[in-house]
Amino acid sequence: MNYGKTFFRLLLVALLGMPAVPASAEVFFQCPGYVPLTDRDANSDGVLRFRDGELSGPFTLPNGFTRDTLPADQDVVCKHLVAGDGFVNMADKTVDHGAGTGVGKLQYIFGFANATGTPDPQVMSDFMLRMEFPAPTITLRQRDHFYLTLSNVGMVMRPDLFDPHSVHYHGFPNASAIFDGEPMSSISINMGASLTYYYNNVEPGTFMYHCHVEATEHMQMGMLGNLYVTPAQDAGPAINGFTRFAYNDEDGSTGYNVAYPVQIHNFDPNFHDASMNVQPLPFAEMEDLYPMLNGRGYPDTVDTTPEGLANSETGNFSQKVNALITAVRGDRILLRISSLATTSFHTLTTTGIPMLVVGKDARKLGPPNDTSQYIRTNSITLGGGEAVDVILDTLGIPAGTYFLYTSNVYHLNNNTEEYGGMMTEIRIVP
Amino acid sequence: MDKTKKRFRGLTGMLVAATLLLLLLPVCALAAVNGIPGPTFTLTVKTDHISTADGSNLFLWGYADGTNRAQYPGPTLIVTQGQPITVTLKNQLDVPVSIVFAGQTVTASGGIPGLLTREALKNDDPGTLAVDESTVTYTFTPTEPGTYLYSSGTDPHLQVQMGLLGALIVRPSAATATMPGCDPTDPTRVMATAYGDCRSAYDYETLFILTETDPALHTLVELGRIEEVKTTEFFPVNWFINGRGGPDTLAPYKASWLPTQPYECFTRTTPGDRVLLRIVGAGRDSHPFHTHGNNMDVIARDGRLLTTDPAIQPAPSLTAARAAEVGVVPDLAVSNFTNNTLPGATYDAIYAWTGRNLGWDVYGHDLANPALDPAICDGGIPGRVVNGFDMVTREWCADHGNPFPVARTDIKDLTFGQFYSGSPFLGSAGALPPGEGGFNPNAGFFFMWHSHNEKELTNNDIFPGGMLTMLVVEPPGTPIK
Repeated sequence: MNYGKTFFRLLLVALLGMPAVPASAEVFFQCPGYVPLTDRDANSDGVLRFRDGELSGPFTLPNGFTRDTLPADQDVVCKHLVAGDGFVNMADKTVDHGAGTGVGKLQYIFGFANATGTPDPQVMSDFMLRMEFPAPTITLRQRDHFYLTLSNVGMVMRPDLFDPHSVHYHGFPNASAIFDGEPMSSISINMGASLTYYYNNVEPGTFMYHCHVEATEHMQMGMLGNLYVTPAQDAGPAINGFTRFAYNDEDGSTGYNVAYPVQIHNFDPNFHDASMNVQPLPFAEMEDLYPMLNGRGYPDTVDTTPEGLANSETGNFSQKVNALITAVRGDRILLRISSLATTSFHTLTTTGIPMLVVGKDARKLGPPNDTSQYIRTNSITLGGGEAVDVILDTLGIPAGTYFLYTSNVYHLNNNTEEYGGMMTEIRIVP
Repeated sequence: MDKTKKRFRGLTGMLVAATLLLLLLPVCALAAVNGIPGPTFTLTVKTDHISTADGSNLFLWGYADGTNRAQYPGPTLIVTQGQPITVTLKNQLDVPVSIVFAGQTVTASGGIPGLLTREALKNDDPGTLAVDESTVTYTFTPTEPGTYLYSSGTDPHLQVQMGLLGALIVRPSAATATMPGCDPTDPTRVMATAYGDCRSAYDYETLFILTETDPALHTLVELGRIEEVKTTEFFPVNWFINGRGGPDTLAPYKASWLPTQPYECFTRTTPGDRVLLRIVGAGRDSHPFHTHGNNMDVIARDGRLLTTDPAIQPAPSLTAARAAEVGVVPDLAVSNFTNNTLPGATYDAIYAWTGRNLGWDVYGHDLANPALDPAICDGGIPGRVVNGFDMVTREWCADHGNPFPVARTDIKDLTFGQFYSGSPFLGSAGALPPGEGGFNPNAGFFFMWHSHNEKELTNNDIFPGGMLTMLVVEPPGTPIK
C-alpha cells in the first residue's frame, strides 16, 4: 500500500484553513480558523474558542465539518503552550535563605506557560525564562476539538541542555501514540520549534497534563498542571436546580455550585538546586520537602493576588493558580483533585465538611441515574497519576473557615518552616 | 542532557537484543502468563543473584522450582479452582523459611513451628526421627479463582525484601476457564475467563508483580552481616515489575542473560482485544500503576470479583454487569487510569483499546482509492454498514477516512522515540533519520505502563528504568500467540 501518496493527499485536506509547515526550526501555531493578528483571546480564558467568536477564518475539521456546518454541540478550541524554564518562590518566608526573611526559597523550575495569541515570531523572546508552576489550567468542554500547539523555547539557565518537551494528556481515552506525548513511543519537540496535538474530547472528567520527556526530571521540576473537561449535560436544562455537573449523571447527582481544581505536587529543593547549578541530579535521593497544592505551600495557597505571585529572581508572575476554596453556605463544592507527586502518596481531609466521591480517574462512579456507588468519606488518598471528583455539601455547615489539608501531617510544613505546606482554606460565607 | 547519549546506547543495546529475539521466536511475547502448573510443587529456597538494569546485581533469596536456580519473583504457580494443591518447601539457607499463601486456607505439616506458619530448616535433625525439620508440606484447595500473592512468613520484613515472594494464579474450573459467547460479533469465538463468565473474559493476560529493593540491605545479607540490617531504615532505589527493572521488563521470557529473572511483562494486543492485567503489590510500598492509552476496568480485588451479583460461581451470569470499552465487566468494576496498588493486595483489570472517537482515521485510509484499502468498515461483508467499532476490520467506523488533523512538524525539529514507527498511523511505517526508531517492527502504537511515582522510574539513580514496561497495540491481524 502506498501510504506516501495517501499521506500527502490527507495532508492537503488537513491543511485547509491552516498555513504550511515551515521547513526549518520556527515557532508555528496551528489552529483551524485562526487569523493571525486579528483573532485573539478576547475573554482571557486562556484559549481561542470558536463559539466565543475568537476564530474568524474558514476551517474544515477531520470529521468534515466546516465552521458553517459544525453541529451546535461541538466546538473548536486552540491553545498555544510554551515549554522552558523559570523560577518560583516557596512559601517559607520566615526562613532566612541568605538575604534575610520575607521571601521564600527560590526554586528553579522547568514549566509551561500560555502563549495563546502571541504572534509566532514573538514567542521565543516573550517567554524565555517565564514559565509558570503549575502549568496553566486547561479547561475544556465535552465535544471540544482541541488543538494544542507546544513550542519549546529552550532553557535559558541551562544552555548545556537541549531537552525536547511534550504534553501528555493524562487519562485521555483511546489515545493515539502520536498525540500521547510519551517520548519513547512517539515524538517530542526540539528547541525553537512547535508540535501540535489534536484531541477530540468525548469524555468529561478530571484529568491532568504534564511533560513526559525525561518524566522523572521534568515532572519534579514542575512541568505539570490541571486539566478538566465539563460534561455535555452542562448545556442542557437544569436538574434539581443545578446547571453544572461533574458528569453526565442524568439525575443531577454530580451537580455543583462552585468548582475548584486542586493538584498535589511537591518539590525536592536539592533536586531543583542541583539542576540550577549544573550538578548531577539526585534521582535516588529524591525527597520532597516542599509539599504543595496548585504549586504553593500554605499560606500562599490562599493568596488571591489576581496576577499571581511574582518570583524574586525575574519578577515574572510565575505562580498564577491559588488553592483557595470559597462558597456560600448551602453550596455544593466540586473539588477536582489530582496528584502528580513524584515520590509519595497523600491523603487529603477536611476539618468538618464531609466528602462525597462521585468520580475517579475521569469516570463517574456507577452508571447514570445511579448514586449507589458514590463513596461517603472524610478523606481521599491519591498517588501520582490519580484523580478524584469530590463534592463537599455545605448544607448545614456553619459559615466560617475550614481547611482542606493532608493528614500526612509531616507534610504540613514548608521544608524547615514548621507551618504550612499541603493545606488550603475552605471559606464558607453566610 | 549529556546523559542522553549514554542512556540511549545502553537502551539500544538491550533493545536490539530484545527485538532480534522477538523477530526470531514464533511465540515471542506474553499471551498467557508463564508459570508452572500444579497440583504439586516443590520449592527450594536458595541464594543467587539478580541483575539490575543499571548494570549491577543484587544478592537474592529466592524460591527455586525444584532443582533449578532460585528466581525472582518465585515461580508463578498456576492452578485450577477446586483442585487440591500440595507445595513442598525445602531450604538451603541457614535461617528458617516458610510460605504463606494469602487468601487460602492452608494446612502445614513438617518442619518446625513458626509464628505465622510452619517453617523449614536447612537440615533434618537426626535426633528427632519422627519429624523432618527440613521439609514443610503446605496443602490447600483454592476455592475461588483469581490472582494471589505468596511470600515468606518467616521474618517477612527481611525475607520478602530478599526476594521470597511470588504469584499464585487460580484459574476457574475447567468448565468456565474458557468459553464461547463472550464476543457478541462472533458467538463461536472462545475466550479465556478469569472468574468464570464473560465479565472477566480476555484474549491475553499479563502478570505485574510490583516490588522495590534497597541494595544496601542485600549487600549486608550477602556479607553475612544480617544482624546489622535495619529494615526501619529501608530506602529503595530499585523498582521492578516481575523481578526486572525497566527496560529488562521487555526482554524475552527466560532471557539467557537474566537466568534468575525469567518473567517479562511486555503486553501485545490489537484493537478490540481484551487484556487481563493481574497486578500484585508484592513489596512494602504502594505503587500507582498507570496505563497509557486507555483506562483499565478493575474487575476484582484480592481474588474477588467486584460485583453485587451473589451467584458468581459457577453460573456464567451476565446480570450485574456493565458495558466496558469492549464487552462487559462486573457492575462494581471501577475504571482507573491509575491503579493505587497497595502492598499485599492484588487486582485484576480488563484493558481494551479501540481508537473510539479519536476523530481521525488511525489507519490513514485513503477514501479516494478504495481499491488500495479493502478494509472499509463493513464487518467483512461487502456493502454492509457497521456503526461503532467494527470487530472484523478493527476500526472505529465513524472516523473512517477522516484525515490526520494537523500538519506535521519537520523531522529536523523532532526527537524520536525508539518505538516510533515513523508514521502516526497504525500499521504504517514512515521515514526516520538513520539510527532512529527501529523497535516497532509491526508499526503498532506503543504505550508505556508504569508506576506514576516518577522517582520509581529509575534504576539506582539512573533514568530511565525501574517500574516501567510497554504495551503495544499491533495492527489487526498481527499474530500475537
